[in-house]
Amino acid sequence: MNSILVLLIAAAALIVGYGVYARRIDRNVVQPDGKKATPAKMYMDGVDFTPASRNVLFGYQFKSIAALGPITGPIIAVQWGWFPAMLWIILGTFFIGWVQDYGAMMMGVRRDGDSLGALSYKLVSPRARTILMIFLYFYLLLIMGSFGNAVGKTLMTNPKVPLGMFIVVLMGILAGQMTYKWKKDIILTTVVTVVLTFVGIWLSTTKPVAAFFNGLYGLPESPVWFLGNTQAQVIGTLLVIVFCYLGSVMPIWSFAQPINYISFWIVSLGILGGILGMIIWRPGMGDFPAFTKFTTASGPLWPMLFVTIACGAISGWHSLVSTSGTARQLEAETDALPVGGGAMFLEMIFATVAFLTATAAFGGFQGYQDAGGAGKALAVFSGGLANFLSHIGIPKEFGTAYGSVFLTIMALTIMQLCVRFMRVASAELAGDKFPAMKNIHIGTIVALLLTLVFVWVIPWLTIWSAFGAANQLMAGLALMLIALWAMSEGRKHTWALYPAAFMIVTTIAALLYLAYTNFAKLSSPDITTQAAIAAVLVGLIAVVLVVAAAFLVYDGWKALRKPQPKKAPAKV
Amino acid sequence: MEPGSLRDRLQRIAHAARQILYGMTTYEWAQSAKRERAEVERLFVLLSFGDLVGVPILPPYYTLRLLPFVVPALNRWKRSLLRERDWTDLAEFIEGID
Repeated sequence: MNSILVLLIAAAALIVGYGVYARRIDRNVVQPDGKKATPAKMYMDGVDFTPASRNVLFGYQFKSIAALGPITGPIIAVQWGWFPAMLWIILGTFFIGWVQDYGAMMMGVRRDGDSLGALSYKLVSPRARTILMIFLYFYLLLIMGSFGNAVGKTLMTNPKVPLGMFIVVLMGILAGQMTYKWKKDIILTTVVTVVLTFVGIWLSTTKPVAAFFNGLYGLPESPVWFLGNTQAQVIGTLLVIVFCYLGSVMPIWSFAQPINYISFWIVSLGILGGILGMIIWRPGMGDFPAFTKFTTASGPLWPMLFVTIACGAISGWHSLVSTSGTARQLEAETDALPVGGGAMFLEMIFATVAFLTATAAFGGFQGYQDAGGAGKALAVFSGGLANFLSHIGIPKEFGTAYGSVFLTIMALTIMQLCVRFMRVASAELAGDKFPAMKNIHIGTIVALLLTLVFVWVIPWLTIWSAFGAANQLMAGLALMLIALWAMSEGRKHTWALYPAAFMIVTTIAALLYLAYTNFAKLSSPDITTQAAIAAVLVGLIAVVLVVAAAFLVYDGWKALRKPQPKKAPAKV
Repeated sequence: MEPGSLRDRLQRIAHAARQILYGMTTYEWAQSAKRERAEVERLFVLLSFGDLVGVPILPPYYTLRLLPFVVPALNRWKRSLLRERDWTDLAEFIEGID
């Protein structure tokens, strides 16, 4: 199938999904009232609760939800063939993804801007809040492991990447200084730092730089150091850890935030260039099979595909952003659909572009496999993007280094914020018992040591599936909350309840599959120490999540059976 | 310029595009700066008017002299200080994680 046709199908799904289905639910079921005061107006504090224009919030919401997830998931999922992956991206967004993002936002608005934790407590049970925290904790831990693995053990081992990453970091620091200390104009700051970053990425492709990193990594045959990790992988991972450490302990304005800002431009220009190149090139999928086989390296199509593509179809994380972030800033209830639903449908297009880098940019299935396949999803994306960019005159060598640097920096910006979050969370959780945990350096080091274990020990595809499952459980909980909230207002709730049931059943099945396959590995006589530790870790995480999900289903079922008001208030 | 004319519509589209770009880029910086200022303000009002929420820190004489400056922000301060928070409130600090 031609890539332009795929984009057109996705665009048609956007028009019908947003313009017909989503609008219908919005108008007939949820019935937003544009004149009703939102929490942003009622509880305005100038910070968390503060009204903002729907356009600003659309940009904020989209940037908050679209990062590496919609890129990585589809590239891994095409191992089942392009058809199931594409179908899930489109139908997942159409029936489930926007329902969650929009529903969570409306629920937050109608419930005084409560966070998802508070809503779980009030609508399901006190225990539901604790369960949400468990999902969230594992989600963060697994995101650190999966992104750390993808970056430290794949992208950073390319000798053309580390210098580019250093330059992005330096330019981020410069941008922070120029903006906050030297009070320079933001346009000047942006132009200077972005141009210098591109120069840095070009420098990283030159021979002397590559020779230096070849020497550092012991390439071309990087020796194995320990636990099956090569010298390049160990050094690459340690560079990632140092970056995350600095991101966690340095003031946010001087490091994390400006680097995020620079990376936004680097990433956006790359994506726009890639789309332009694709439109000019108009490649087809060649011999890429519509369906390969039911069971692949990641497991059976059902349930594993549905946790492999999370963000891009439906992702639990979005519900947290929608409630704690955006719902408290909505100027009017009627803005929830364009902001929450609109951003999710746009993310579907973003995921479709990532899907095309795997299926169309290499001319067929063999090309995808040669580029790294599901096991090296980010390398596939950078290679695919380079192929697209080559059609607008950008040399492939530069394009590959550029794609790798932007994926690296995208992952690292996420990871540094996760470490910050984990540091704060561990100080709050364990700070009273272990006062040392309140120290920012100790909290950060503990989080990073846990990350190192996950990165060095657990294989990429396994950790990605576990991460997706933790994420999708949050989605199941959020959808259940939306259904309960709609019931509490006497409105129709099946539009959220059926997706909730689907997500919870599918994710529990995925976790049981993960637990079974990992514990089964332990009975093999040839298992290595590394594989045994990985199997135990992933198996235990899967079991903990299944138990938590079982409690959640029980509490949710009880909440659903409570008597509810009969009819929705008529719209005046 | 007539409302609804092509120029007007183009200007509105350009304005919306600028706002979206702002939302994707520096809005986060502005929010973060506001948050930092609010934290300092919250601490200051807590130190000077803590007795309003049951924490008597400064003797009332001094706080009375500050009262006229703080009155406009008192309600906002109480709401923001006493609002129940949990981990999920922190989600907005790690935007773009997915």
